[in-house]
Amino acid sequence: MISPFPPQCIGVADWDLLRERLLGLGLVEPWYGGPLGRHVEQGDSRLLRLSFDNSPAALRLWNFLLSEEERLFAARAQGYRIVGTMKDLGIVPLLAYALPKALAFYPDGAWWIPCVMELSAGLLRFADEIGLDESFCPVRAMVGAFLGEGHFPRPDLVTCSVGATCDDFSAIAQRLNGFGVPILWWEMPHVRAPDPGEEEARLPSGQTVPAALVRQVEAEFARIARHVEEVCGEALTGERLAAAIERANGIRAQLEELRSAVFFAPRAPLPALEVLIAEMLAIHYCSDRDETEAVLADLLAETRRRVASGLGYGDGFEVRVFWVNPVADLTAMNLLESCGGRLCGTDFMFCHALDPIPVDRPPLTALALMALSDPLAGTAAERARRVAAGARRFRAEAVLVSRIPGASHCAYEGEFIAERLRSDLGIPVAEIEVPPLSDSVRPILRTRIEAVLEAARKRRSGR
Amino acid sequence: MIVAGIDGGSRTIKAALFDTSAGEVIGTALRDQGIDQNRLAEELLDQTLARCGVPRADVTAVLATGYARHLMNFAGRKVTEITCQARGVSHLCPGARSVIEIGGQDSKLVRLEVNGTVDDFAMNDRCAAGTGRFLEMMAGRLETSLAGLDRLVRQSREPAVISSMCVVFAETEITGLLSCGVAPAEIVVGVERAVAERVVTMAGRRLIDPVVFTGGVALIPGMREALERALERSVMLCPMAQHSGAIGAALIAAEQ
Repeated sequence: MISPFPPQCIGVADWDLLRERLLGLGLVEPWYGGPLGRHVEQGDSRLLRLSFDNSPAALRLWNFLLSEEERLFAARAQGYRIVGTMKDLGIVPLLAYALPKALAFYPDGAWWIPCVMELSAGLLRFADEIGLDESFCPVRAMVGAFLGEGHFPRPDLVTCSVGATCDDFSAIAQRLNGFGVPILWWEMPHVRAPDPGEEEARLPSGQTVPAALVRQVEAEFARIARHVEEVCGEALTGERLAAAIERANGIRAQLEELRSAVFFAPRAPLPALEVLIAEMLAIHYCSDRDETEAVLADLLAETRRRVASGLGYGDGFEVRVFWVNPVADLTAMNLLESCGGRLCGTDFMFCHALDPIPVDRPPLTALALMALSDPLAGTAAERARRVAAGARRFRAEAVLVSRIPGASHCAYEGEFIAERLRSDLGIPVAEIEVPPLSDSVRPILRTRIEAVLEAARKRRSGR
Repeated sequence: MIVAGIDGGSRTIKAALFDTSAGEVIGTALRDQGIDQNRLAEELLDQTLARCGVPRADVTAVLATGYARHLMNFAGRKVTEITCQARGVSHLCPGARSVIEIGGQDSKLVRLEVNGTVDDFAMNDRCAAGTGRFLEMMAGRLETSLAGLDRLVRQSREPAVISSMCVVFAETEITGLLSCGVAPAEIVVGVERAVAERVVTMAGRRLIDPVVFTGGVALIPGMREALERALERSVMLCPMAQHSGAIGAALIAAEQ
């Protein structure tokens, strides 16, 4: 259903009233639909601090996101095989989704549970008690979620990458392993340039790497595939993998169209928060690939309609901000618009999960090429290059580099990215650190965001 | 035409009046921060106007800055202290390219373009180390005031080394130094150097000369010297250092 109302950010209580009106106007919801307020009653109290887009498509997106736990338990009850793909941003899940009664989910995503539940789930406290204190990334919440089995069922298979991935995550996953959760470890090599004379391969990101790295990762995926086959009792044929890649590319194409429409529109047709949530669907489809396609189709239809009608947020003069890295507290995304900015581009660390997977290569080779395009597996310089290219493409006027306390992947590279952007694009850049509950530092975040927007406006007026 | 800038800081509120016809600051004032920040700031503005003989009706614009800016309902516009410090220091010290501002609650570095606009900034706003609060704690522990530090700074011969960058632990460290018989004068300069080192860490490689030091802490005897020592470059003291943010706010209001 296309929204009969102009775009507006509203809170949970207003959404529940609006939903009643929409039902009266003919809104039909999927099984996971319902008032957002029910998620608050179930403990997601942080939702009360958020502002949401008022379209039916956004309501569906949020209900889809917030019902993943129910979906996973339902899948288990229906006999689905569940693969937990840890430290993986959108590649290994394809192996599970290639089979008819299997799905993948992202246990790392459990770090949002204590954030959305304002710590009431006790997961961070549990992590503290076992020595994984706040000097670690909030993904430490995952250990308690695994052991408690209250948020998701114990997966049939758990995979986790090591090597050129987050140090903190690796430490946390090893601790989980120590608690008796079997993990299929696979190794991600550091992505480097080929030595002279070394056989080369070209990644979809444009980077050139040694062909040996591609073969190494391909062999790892073949090993994971064998385990997936064993758990699921079905063969992962080339045809099935090719079909999974085709579906993945379809979702990536939806997201590319959505991003382009949102980022290039004269007025932002969707707020930053909904863009972040939509992009995150690319990683593991929130445990339901079919629904991901449907949710994105609704968002796209709403976005197209708003763009065609000239509807959107703000007046079109907001500062165009490129956002780097996800945030631990979603309220930070709302802050962008309330400070007078608009999202015009993103690199939430999984930009390679938005790029099309090559279809002219054997499936496992194609997946290996995509895995090696993960910006976290390469140098900070390569990541900075990609961020700068994105900021240029989307005509950013300012860049915000967000940091999650304790997360090794974003602790040090912010300054490097900022220097690259200043020298390449000459636009203001600010780093912000967003902890899981950012209420106490909200004035600080606001000042930094406002300051970078003021600097961008000054540059605009000086041109 | 008279415009006003109000800087609602963590420890004090500052007001500045600017006469656009004369192109000069005609009055400044300061008071302690409190609970009802909007009322306190508006009272300060009224007092400043009364002292300068300017009727409130003659004020054509009021711009608020500082961490409390969004609480000031009487201000027509709010701008961050980063932008206002840049504008204020550019006016008070033309040609400045780097601004180090240390206030009661945070410290910041603002790098300026040649035209005085903000090129880059960094802030320490997550802990009291490197802020005026650190120095206040020390002064209290040494049974003196910030104003009383002048005499102690001049007595120092062999400054103590303060290794703790947490205010609470530093207080413990100071207690330990006092019990070992270290003179208060040496502790004062030691703490000032620790604050300066913290600012150097924040500033990183961002500084461009000339560097101007402003904010309330700039008025504390010995701090500029401690900064110069830590930065290994000369640092200029901003005139009207405690008011540079409010003056910047007034100037931006005038430009509207």
